[in-house]
Amino acid sequence: MNKSWKSYRPGDFFDELVTPKGSPRVKARQAVNLLRSLSVEEMAARRSAAELAIRELGISFTVYTERGNIDRAWPFDIIPRIIPATEWTKVSEGLTQRTRALNMFIDDIYNEQNIIKDGVVPAEIVLDSPNYKPQCQGISPAHGVWAHICGTDLVRNVDGKFYVLEDNLRVPSGVSYMVENREITKRVLPELFENYSILPVDDYPSRLYQTLASLSPRDRKRPCIVVLTPGIYNSAYFEHAFLAQGMGAELVEGSDLFVDDDDCVYMRTVDGPVRVDVVYRRIDEDFMDPEAFREDSVLGVAGLMRSWKAGKVAIANAPGAGVADDKVVYAYVPDMIRYYLNEKPQVESVPTYLCMREDDRNYVLNNLADLVVKPANESGGYGIMVGPHSTKATHRKFAALIKKDPRNYIAQPTLSLSTAPTYIEDSVQPRHLDLRPFILQGKDSWVTPGGLTRVALVKGSLVVNSSQGGGSKDTWIVEGKS
Amino acid sequence: MIMLSSVAERLYWMARYLERAEDTARLTLAYHHLIMDIPRGSEPDWDVLIRILDAADDFYTRYRAGNEQNVIRYLIAEADSSNSIPFAVSSARENVRTTRDVLPEETWEQVNELYIFCQDTAEGAVGRRNRHAFCEEIINRCQMINGSLLGTLNRDHAYRFIKAGHLLERADMITRVVDVGAGDILDREGAFAAVDPLLWGALLQAMSALGSYRRMIGPLVEKNAVVDFVFSEPTFPRSVRFCLRGIREELGPLKNNRPALRVHERARRRLRRFEADQVTRQELHDFIDNFQLLLNELHLAIQSTWFQPDAR
Repeated sequence: MNKSWKSYRPGDFFDELVTPKGSPRVKARQAVNLLRSLSVEEMAARRSAAELAIRELGISFTVYTERGNIDRAWPFDIIPRIIPATEWTKVSEGLTQRTRALNMFIDDIYNEQNIIKDGVVPAEIVLDSPNYKPQCQGISPAHGVWAHICGTDLVRNVDGKFYVLEDNLRVPSGVSYMVENREITKRVLPELFENYSILPVDDYPSRLYQTLASLSPRDRKRPCIVVLTPGIYNSAYFEHAFLAQGMGAELVEGSDLFVDDDDCVYMRTVDGPVRVDVVYRRIDEDFMDPEAFREDSVLGVAGLMRSWKAGKVAIANAPGAGVADDKVVYAYVPDMIRYYLNEKPQVESVPTYLCMREDDRNYVLNNLADLVVKPANESGGYGIMVGPHSTKATHRKFAALIKKDPRNYIAQPTLSLSTAPTYIEDSVQPRHLDLRPFILQGKDSWVTPGGLTRVALVKGSLVVNSSQGGGSKDTWIVEGKS
Repeated sequence: MIMLSSVAERLYWMARYLERAEDTARLTLAYHHLIMDIPRGSEPDWDVLIRILDAADDFYTRYRAGNEQNVIRYLIAEADSSNSIPFAVSSARENVRTTRDVLPEETWEQVNELYIFCQDTAEGAVGRRNRHAFCEEIINRCQMINGSLLGTLNRDHAYRFIKAGHLLERADMITRVVDVGAGDILDREGAFAAVDPLLWGALLQAMSALGSYRRMIGPLVEKNAVVDFVFSEPTFPRSVRFCLRGIREELGPLKNNRPALRVHERARRRLRRFEADQVTRQELHDFIDNFQLLLNELHLAIQSTWFQPDAR
């Protein structure tokens, strides 16, 4: 019997596996009991086995440092997070609804702009955003879908409800780790699976393939799909290779492709040029095509936009999709759902104060110590101020930043992120976590069962990003009663 | 089956580096054993290994003396020297890392394990005690990787470029070993005639040819027969002739293969005309020099045809 479980108390937060009184939740009972029965040595041995598996599978991510790029092993906690399927189904429906509305919004913005004309969303927050790409005006991609792969960040608040923290519609990453985490758990804790019915996650690449294939401009049995990567030094390169292999698609860099005078995209192969139907781009749109965006980009393919506009190639996610992935636009998503779908939002959004509005701004400036302040256009957890965890000096710094550029800042109440038992050194302790499910939308939609759970390994910390010391957990959606 | 030019190039180099790591390990191992069999004073210099790899310039900027310790350190522990086993292994790994999507899933895992093994143990294998185990493990792991490629890869473009890379590297290595190794023995001009058969035996061992040689030619190891065997024996998979034939098989089905086939044909003819019993030391050296130029020309033809096509 491992003592550290006995003294485990979730504290003032919602805990994913344990009730406030310290007993396991229903779906987690079998797993927790089994883990409890393992000795300290046994737990340590499982953790070593997981570390070895990660090293051998070569699951890594790249971190940029002053001394160059370091390839780091993927940080993984062996205790899985368990969510009942009944609960997940509702969340999953809400995510589908949300992604549909977001795609209708993007398509509307680049075409009729009805939502602006009808006064639901103010023109300036959309059209003045750096994420709005005038180059995309007037284009209607297949099925009216722009964001084909969406990685939505969810957190569970102290009330036990899931809230959407942000929608990642540009090049969301992390899905390969979701798949690999399951693989690792199967290797190091196989006995945990004995009494559970857990929804599998490893069919993601084939779902992605179906989604991308449904975008092909040519009607072919097997359209030619490529994954466009910035190259081996990108932090998510591992994932790019993983997905290409899983889909049987080519993993290409910009230099492997060219656009010919017929506006079609070709790749250079040993048999000569081969036409490409769908580009799953994992490079930022600003670097995608030096003809249309940044001229100094060496990563992209000259003419890719031209080809896309001519309807000769599909690009996922479509350039310009980021217009809906903006923390100011985020505040309007519930309105979009009502406007386009005439439905009630099924997953909650976090109440958001827009510093561009005078009332909101005054409230934010007066309550900095209680709020989380975020720049509208950063990802990876950079440039964020968590009020309660920051010094007065930081509050003053952010007050100045907000006053200088109100459009670029939003604020939200500090959520109490849920926790889960996490194996730290040789004891089990509560750590905060979030969840990133992936939503696919092409001809049809699909949501991953669960997603990537990221966990802040530092005690009390809310920062879950792997680039800043976060780890991850296998996430189980569990069916039936157990 | 589609194959990106850039991927074909990396597969080709992955195969070359794996073969290079294996060959260097074989060479080191053979020499390591040879040295223990030979009486003090009549053993050949360790720096013959450096000359075989054509690495003298680089080696002597790092070390002053070509003694056992330095040569071995250079070959098995100096990760930043392009002639070392760790360098070949990590280069192979880099190439697999960027071609995982066209290789069998276990290949990455195996190559990565080889890399981890090499990183963890190379330093400790410089001394005589662990050297044998290290080299053998490198050879075993390389063979395991090749074996699983052979057993699981479709016989399509990926396989073709991998095989071409392997065989070209192997042919190149055989000619180097013969050129320097045989030359070294011949240069001794019978001074230590008693140990010469051991040296020829070691030379065969370095090319994994000793067993087949004994079965086909007999137990007496003798110069002309050795050279003839490793150059021209059609059934021995590490003979130059066998390698050339294998490369021809793989170039055949590729598009635009004319320039490469032309060079290949010249190399094949040159090898066919070569007769081991007639040659002097100098003639052997000249022949190999020329032949290596042809191998390099073949490499360049493959590169310019399939890896860097000028089209846009």
